[in-house]
Amino acid sequence: MARINEKSQGASQIEKLTDAPLEFVKEGQQFLAKCKKPDVKEYTKIVRAVGIGFVAVGVIGYAIKLVHIPIRYLIV
Amino acid sequence: MSSTPPGGQRTLQKRRQAQNVKDKQLKQTPASTRQAGHGGSSSSILKIYTDEANGLRVDPLVVLFLAVAFIFSVVAMHVISKVTGKLF
Amino acid sequence: MAGYRLVDVAKPFLPILPEVEVSYEKVSFDDKVVYTIISGLIYLFGQFPLAGISKDESNVKDPIFFLRGVFGAEPKSLLEFGIFPIISSGLILQLLAGLKVISVNFKLQQDRELFQTLTKLFALLQYFVLTNIFILSGYYGENLTVVQIGVLNLQLVGAGFIAILLTEVVDKGFGFASGTMTINTMVIATSLVADTFGVSQITVDAEGHKEAQGAIINLVQGMRSKHRTFLGGIVSAFNRDYLPNLSTTLIVLAIGATVCYLQSFRLDLPIRSTKARGVNNVYPIRLLHVGALSVSFSYVLLTYIHIFAFALIHLVAKNNSQSIICKVLGHYETVNNILYTPTFPLSLLTPPRSLLSGLFEQPLTFVVYTGFMLITGVWFANHWQAMSGSSARDIAVQFKEQGITLTGRREQSVAKELEKVIPVASTTGAALLALVTVIGEVLGLKGKAAAIVVGVATGFSLLELISMDYQQTGGQSALAQVLGAPGRF
Repeated sequence: MARINEKSQGASQIEKLTDAPLEFVKEGQQFLAKCKKPDVKEYTKIVRAVGIGFVAVGVIGYAIKLVHIPIRYLIV
Repeated sequence: MSSTPPGGQRTLQKRRQAQNVKDKQLKQTPASTRQAGHGGSSSSILKIYTDEANGLRVDPLVVLFLAVAFIFSVVAMHVISKVTGKLF
Repeated sequence: MAGYRLVDVAKPFLPILPEVEVSYEKVSFDDKVVYTIISGLIYLFGQFPLAGISKDESNVKDPIFFLRGVFGAEPKSLLEFGIFPIISSGLILQLLAGLKVISVNFKLQQDRELFQTLTKLFALLQYFVLTNIFILSGYYGENLTVVQIGVLNLQLVGAGFIAILLTEVVDKGFGFASGTMTINTMVIATSLVADTFGVSQITVDAEGHKEAQGAIINLVQGMRSKHRTFLGGIVSAFNRDYLPNLSTTLIVLAIGATVCYLQSFRLDLPIRSTKARGVNNVYPIRLLHVGALSVSFSYVLLTYIHIFAFALIHLVAKNNSQSIICKVLGHYETVNNILYTPTFPLSLLTPPRSLLSGLFEQPLTFVVYTGFMLITGVWFANHWQAMSGSSARDIAVQFKEQGITLTGRREQSVAKELEKVIPVASTTGAALLALVTVIGEVLGLKGKAAAIVVGVATGFSLLELISMDYQQTGGQSALAQVLGAPGRF
């Protein structure tokens, strides 16, 4: 009894392995279909927020990197 | 073979008990600090340091100054090696 | 616990490793901003050229150039390896603990401390090993003296140690969320700005002509430079391959925009309060539930593979294409005198330098590299969402504590319902992010695609937490008053 159980489990596992990618894609598509997508207004707001944040942080960081240039010039 | 017929009150009780034990076991061994309820990494954040271990305690400001000092010591090394021509 | 556990390795080191104090008072919003930015700036300042390496060019070029962007690593600088050891040690040890490969009881304070110290120790060890692999391979020059080797070790491991402490300062609550992630985002943002608006002039040819690092600055300069025609300047601005050009910058921006788009995909689950009637709301489950961590994880594995191969090829086989190891793994070839690209088997996991050369020289790479990114990313997302404390079961427990339930569900079946959504969201999100990364990398961005994906997605995760923090404590923030910004979200 137990062995039969094991066997059928093994078989289903192999089946699972081959079916997994298909199943995965199908589930993913279903999820994406149910998802709420951003509308243009929301999207521009997000992109602007991220853009401003990125550029602001980047400029501060780059200012520090600029300090490197004279130091490098002095020591090399 | 047990003499009592399958099903009925007792099996239900047993099942519930087994379920409870299983639940408890799952709860008893949290897989991460956050699951144990102590902060730490969440689904999209990788956090490494959560607790204060009994190590050599340092103030955060000390760390920042130490870091700057370290970098300037490397700058100094550059300068020395330039002035003396060949240090290494 | 029977037997010897891996966390016990950390025990003897517990008293000697420095440990940042946890603040007794609540750190104010402004202080957090300052600490976060300062630690990021110190990190950036640490990308300083190493002292004591030989001046003449070494034959050994940079073997991990396409992996550096993700880890904020700058070649031949103090942060040669960036925060790779910290991220990898954190991710891998937490994953192993979550999968119960190493036994840690996170309920015990002692175990948590040991685990944390072990992570730190492992990161430090990786800095040390990486440093010596690079030194022995001849990357810093052949025939280094003992003093030179010592000085290099001191600098690289020391810088690694500093980086560990900087991330710890942020992690311990002086900054926002996570040190590795804030620093990483800052470095990625900086290199994006440097590649676009960078003004530093770099000598590009034998005649001593100089061009700006930033793509846009270069376009403006190219249009009025003397050694190029007007049209030639514009064409060169779009396709120069020695410095960032406008095409790559545009692709990077497009990828960033795509990640923004994906990031706002969410499934709103209707929830209601179990205590008060008529209080309805939604609980969003994001498509990118695990954020950029899946891509980071794939790149951690990729780096391990490449470093391991580099060590074998260079230390054992001396990059000699006749040796057995090189026949099995491939060997390195110098391209354009700056890049070091591996040949056949190893090249399967190396994104091509450009789309065309990739198509002709290594078509199989497209399949293998894509497969690698997808499989590792999805595998990671699947496990991480279950163990990281935001799994279906954990959220169900949170719901119960806060007296919320999904509309139209009994309290008992909340976990089951969430179980249907969260793993699917995490894995699908991870797969899509991996695909975006692969598309960018295949176009020949040399690591910039992965960097921008990680940067933007991480930035989002942080922004969410920061704005939450701001709403809770930012009321009396002087910084916000100065900037006049009432919180963007």
